[in-house]
Amino acid sequence: MPPSLDELPKGYQFPPFAFELSPEWVREYVAAVEDEAIGVLEGSLVPPMAVAALAVRSLLEGARLPPGAIHLGQDMSMLKPVGAGERLTVSAQVASRGERQGWVLMGIELNVADDNHAPVMSGRAMLTMPANAEGGP
Amino acid sequence: MTLDVGADLAPVVKEITQEKINRYAQAGGDGNPLHTDPQFAAKTMFGGTIAHGMLILAYLSEMMTAAFGEDWLSGGRLKVRFKAPSRPGDTVTSAGRVLRIEDGRTVCAVECRSQRDEVLVAGEADCPRTQTRAAGACLGPTEVTV
Repeated sequence: MPPSLDELPKGYQFPPFAFELSPEWVREYVAAVEDEAIGVLEGSLVPPMAVAALAVRSLLEGARLPPGAIHLGQDMSMLKPVGAGERLTVSAQVASRGERQGWVLMGIELNVADDNHAPVMSGRAMLTMPANAEGGP
Repeated sequence: MTLDVGADLAPVVKEITQEKINRYAQAGGDGNPLHTDPQFAAKTMFGGTIAHGMLILAYLSEMMTAAFGEDWLSGGRLKVRFKAPSRPGDTVTSAGRVLRIEDGRTVCAVECRSQRDEVLVAGEADCPRTQTRAAGACLGPTEVTV
């Protein structure tokens, strides 16, 4: 079983994960977020937040998201448009970690690249979660 | 046509429902019970389920895509903080206003507000000015304050 996110130390490197933005999944995502703007653009471009969502989903193959985790903030740079069907790789690390009053505050940096190693997206997510979260908040 | 300082971006308005949250949880693979399990969420500080932060950011991103087109996808930057949770039953309005033009980029204040006028998300987003289009610009006055 992968470790819980709250247990990871600063500097922890997530194993890189490859994932594919299948057209079916992109359609499911666009329907879920009701994005009416992306379809207006030429080509089968993918909303940038879809790339981020699938990257995070892939990361969570290697660490369990504790129940009650809360998203505090998000920095993100979009570097290259991505089309449906592309295969991407996400790498990430725990950039910061602190603990206060039973809550872990964590910054996770992630970078997404395409099959040619061209950067597609970089970002940093700020999360907080209960320490020893297995029992819930 | 480009967006000048003071221009408002066309707002994006979405209703939050538990069904939409569940659909996003399934697509995003985020099964955090804070979003999907009312019994679990009732015992947290929020007292009930809340929408995923990334779902709300998807609405902001839709607004930026409408305003800036492919420039947003190829060179957009976003820096936001979540100020309050959005809950089923909320109407979330994403809004933006051009703050300044800096180093060839259009810098916007962006935010999401609930129907209670509560700021849910606030921050800045910027985009290269190369092909900026105005299709998503709102030339008339809006009711939002950013």
